[in-house]
Amino acid sequence: MPDSFQPEDLAWIILLLPLLAAAVIGLGTRRDARLSARLSITAVVLSFLGSLGLFLLMREPLALAPKVETSALEWLSVGALKVDLALRLDPLSLLMLLVVTGVGGAIHIYSWGYMHGDRCVGRFFGCLSLFMFSMLGIVLANNFLMMFIFWELVGVSSYLLIGFWYERPAAADACKKAFITNRLGDFGFLLGILIIWAACDGLNFDAVQARLAKSPETLGALASLAGFLIFMGAMGKSAQFPLHVWLPDAMEGPTPVSALIHAATMVAAGVYMLCRVFFLFTIPQAWPELLAFLDGWTALGLIAWLGGLTALLAALMAVQQDDIKRILAYSTLSQLGYMVMAVGLGGPTPAMYHLTTHAFFKALLFLGAGSVIHAMHHEQDIWRMGGLREKLPVTWRTFLLGTLALCGVPPLSGFYSKDGVLAQAYHQHVILFILAVFVAMLTAFYMSRLVVVAFLGSHRSEQAGHAHESPGVMTWPLVVLAVPTVLAGLWGLDAFLERQFNPAAAPHAESWVGALFAPFGHAPAAALLGLAATVFGFSFAWALYRGAVRDPLPDKLGALARAMAGRFYFDELYRALIALTHEALARLAAWCDQWIVAGLAVRGVHGSVELLGRALRLVQTGNLQTYAFLFVAGVVVVLFFALR
Amino acid sequence: MLSFIIVVPLLAALTVLCLPGNFRFLIRAVALGATALCALAAVRLFFGFDAAGAGAGGFKYVQRVPWVEALGISYYVGVDGLNVGLMLMGALVAFAAACVSWEIKTSEKLYYVLLLVMTSGVLGAFASLDLFFFYFFHELALVPTFIMIGVWGHGANRNYATFNITLYLSAGALLALFGLVALYLQMPADARTFDLVAMTEHFRSNPVPAAAQQFIFPLLLFGFGILVSLWPFHTWAPLGYGAAPTATAMLHAGVLKKFGLYGLMRVALPLLPAGARDWMPVVAALCLGNILYCGWVAMRQRDLNQLIGNSSVAHMGFIFLGLASLSLVGLTGAVMVMIAHGLLAALSFGLSGYLRAHARTLNMDELGGLLRQVPFIGAALVMAALAGCGLPGFANFAGEITVLFGAWKVLPWYVVVAAWGALVVGAVYMLRAVRSILHGPLAEKWAGMPDANPWRRVPFVLLLAALIGFGFFPSALANKIKASAESIVAMVGAGQRPAAAGPVAQVR
Repeated sequence: MPDSFQPEDLAWIILLLPLLAAAVIGLGTRRDARLSARLSITAVVLSFLGSLGLFLLMREPLALAPKVETSALEWLSVGALKVDLALRLDPLSLLMLLVVTGVGGAIHIYSWGYMHGDRCVGRFFGCLSLFMFSMLGIVLANNFLMMFIFWELVGVSSYLLIGFWYERPAAADACKKAFITNRLGDFGFLLGILIIWAACDGLNFDAVQARLAKSPETLGALASLAGFLIFMGAMGKSAQFPLHVWLPDAMEGPTPVSALIHAATMVAAGVYMLCRVFFLFTIPQAWPELLAFLDGWTALGLIAWLGGLTALLAALMAVQQDDIKRILAYSTLSQLGYMVMAVGLGGPTPAMYHLTTHAFFKALLFLGAGSVIHAMHHEQDIWRMGGLREKLPVTWRTFLLGTLALCGVPPLSGFYSKDGVLAQAYHQHVILFILAVFVAMLTAFYMSRLVVVAFLGSHRSEQAGHAHESPGVMTWPLVVLAVPTVLAGLWGLDAFLERQFNPAAAPHAESWVGALFAPFGHAPAAALLGLAATVFGFSFAWALYRGAVRDPLPDKLGALARAMAGRFYFDELYRALIALTHEALARLAAWCDQWIVAGLAVRGVHGSVELLGRALRLVQTGNLQTYAFLFVAGVVVVLFFALR
Repeated sequence: MLSFIIVVPLLAALTVLCLPGNFRFLIRAVALGATALCALAAVRLFFGFDAAGAGAGGFKYVQRVPWVEALGISYYVGVDGLNVGLMLMGALVAFAAACVSWEIKTSEKLYYVLLLVMTSGVLGAFASLDLFFFYFFHELALVPTFIMIGVWGHGANRNYATFNITLYLSAGALLALFGLVALYLQMPADARTFDLVAMTEHFRSNPVPAAAQQFIFPLLLFGFGILVSLWPFHTWAPLGYGAAPTATAMLHAGVLKKFGLYGLMRVALPLLPAGARDWMPVVAALCLGNILYCGWVAMRQRDLNQLIGNSSVAHMGFIFLGLASLSLVGLTGAVMVMIAHGLLAALSFGLSGYLRAHARTLNMDELGGLLRQVPFIGAALVMAALAGCGLPGFANFAGEITVLFGAWKVLPWYVVVAAWGALVVGAVYMLRAVRSILHGPLAEKWAGMPDANPWRRVPFVLLLAALIGFGFFPSALANKIKASAESIVAMVGAGQRPAAAGPVAQVR
């Protein structure tokens, strides 16, 4: 610790406050719902204020240097393995810090209303605080291993929160699935870290970046592999194909959790991490001999295609879901696919930009969905809703704003960030651009379907008829989140981020009027095509679902609609695959253990010794005549050999 | 201080022996007091230990009393970075084991005598710097294990388990004894001594001939290996722990089992460096048997104790991997895993013992939904499961990650498999156990199960606190270990042929 308190050390307080809250709740106040909630909310609000302060304080130092690091704590230091914990502040982490604590704060407050009356509110807030601590750790990490540590902690807090209602078998299964799927990704992440550590003799982002800038060939033939393995971590956390299966199931958690973790922050951690280590992907690419068939691909190319594929598949699946939260979950998957694709196409700036706006409007949508579910007494099927527009006015208005932002309607924030992604694709890869535009159309389609079916028309069930608007503690966070949902496109976030990734060519921030029309200025084709796709999507959905009482699509599409509703049968496929491979091996090992190692070897030795014993016992008959006979026979044999 | 830790449980055992058998409370109080005193002394020892200011051979708190001078045997104890953490872990686990012994309701007097003798033996074995006492203390701890499983054990096949564990461990101990005697005979006749420090010094300047190393090292490797359940000599472990009384399983799986590993590090590696270098590929291959094969076996278990037993065998694989790397980082990590796993194994067996005492079964298909009914035990079990699958924040993560880093440059492919075992296989069976036992709806018949009262919580809180403490501040362990590990690595590396291109280069 330094002698005097540096402004950047404020980051330590921001990081540790939620941990403190989690510890106090876990050790003492768990049973007191009100006190626990207060502690947890106070911690996150203070963190948010701290982040704001830090943002203002750091403007000057960051104008001089690309980043500022706090003093370091030694976590482990053995030989070549040195892990110092320090917090890294640069435009990327400052922006993410504000998003995480800001959206997190709104959701914490909302949770107090939503979870009211649950038996374990204390535990809920303890877990939320633990999550905040872990997520802030990812954001502020300055080295690979520190990021991995918090990566795992985020995984476990997500496990605890998805399984919050662990008595429900579906929730208990979902949290297990989420954790193990994430672990598959982390397996790759760890191997990637090991490769980088061995080649670059260090774990600090800075040291590795400097090393790779000086001698880009350091990683040699492992360059692409290391990049791809690191991406596997993101594949798990950000639920990219083929590890996307856990996210829809994660909706079994309480809705605020879905909003915070499975929409706004944790799932975005993968994208954030890719942006953080983007320097890994710009070195000369090469594959080891074993993977020579991948020659011609770069790690970024693979990332772009996997992201694009996720965006497409998830959007298609969303079209045929009936559960309001699942529709939003698939939409999250699809938007994450967009971000990952943008990174893969060499554009961390649009990816982070979309991440930021998405965090606002997707959190808003989930909280709106939570408000609907609350009003409907935990009914989640949109076909049992309808006509909620009059019953839930605040929820309806904010939800509509969120929907429009997600679909990319100007001048809402989503339009600008999505346009950034589309423009990146337009400049880099025409096929992925077409795919992205198609996904934009699907997005508009399934979101309008959701809004038209759930909010418009007349009510289709008892609960929908008697729905009431949620209390203020739940609606105010909606209103607060609606502000950035509308305005974030005009704040010059992209210019701010550009300072991180491309300091030389950072454009000066435009005035908000300039920002309003900027997309039509630098890539008009992308902006116009994106808008056209959105309009198409809206009109299709309007034509199909206005006044509908049940979904007309299954009749029109047949098997395709069934496949969409059945998530293209990935879960069944994986279950079969796992049963054929890993489970079969486990079965084989258990069988060997029982029958060969313990059976043949141990019982075999046991048995043969016993058999020998029994055989020898036959000789000991206790019969004097037998002994006499054997004695004489022995003497005869000895005499025979002696006298021969 | 060291002798205090070793002698107090022995004195307590004598005291208990003198008490009438029906003074149950007093017997238990003596046992608890003695182990608590040990634990406190060990905490002081640990935090008072400063690797920098150590004396001859890097040992501190040295005490030496000559015994049979003709043979060069003396009572000789001392700690360095390698065993100071093990002493702390052993003493903590011994106290926890005494705490959970409330489940014993028959012939308590004999039970506590054996428990105290076992405690003294296991701590003495780690502290001894004299080969004779090193081995003697181990046997002193081993024999009570067999008796305790046989007399107070659980389950239908406890006789078979007792028989199995006795046979295996005696065979292992015997093999190791042959190895140690052979090593002793390698000293020149006039200078023969059991003093480990002197032996190390001697063999540093006059290495054992290569042929003899080739012959002695496997004896020690497999002898000690059997004691640690090295694959494929592991089947005694789940079987024995499944049948053992809780405290015995805690002490054996947590502490006594580490004796074999400690022996390999303290004796086999530094004294037989050429043998070690030649045999380490074998260890590397076998450790994957532990990690992957036993992990898979654990996936198929339906009995909680069998699962913990198999997972404990799997964790031994990481320690062997660290040994096999013969690198500073790997060896340091191996010692860290030894300490972390000792605490974790004690915690897991303690918790499963609590469940068994109240539910009368550990079959995971029958249990379910217990988290609501027994929140403290449930939460502790979740933490144990998460620590077992290597979650950061627990000491196990710090140790295992250090091992993986240490082994990466030498044995990359093995590390890939080990990481799979640690991150994926471990998570699968641990979370399945949580899912079956704690999650889901609560079955009617468990509705009356009581949660642990504050007294019963003490051992679990203590073990968890140690796991989390070392998990957050692993350098508290690593900084003590690394100096000693360095000297071992230096001895193993001495006289080595110039290294060929590393395997990492081959991967490229």
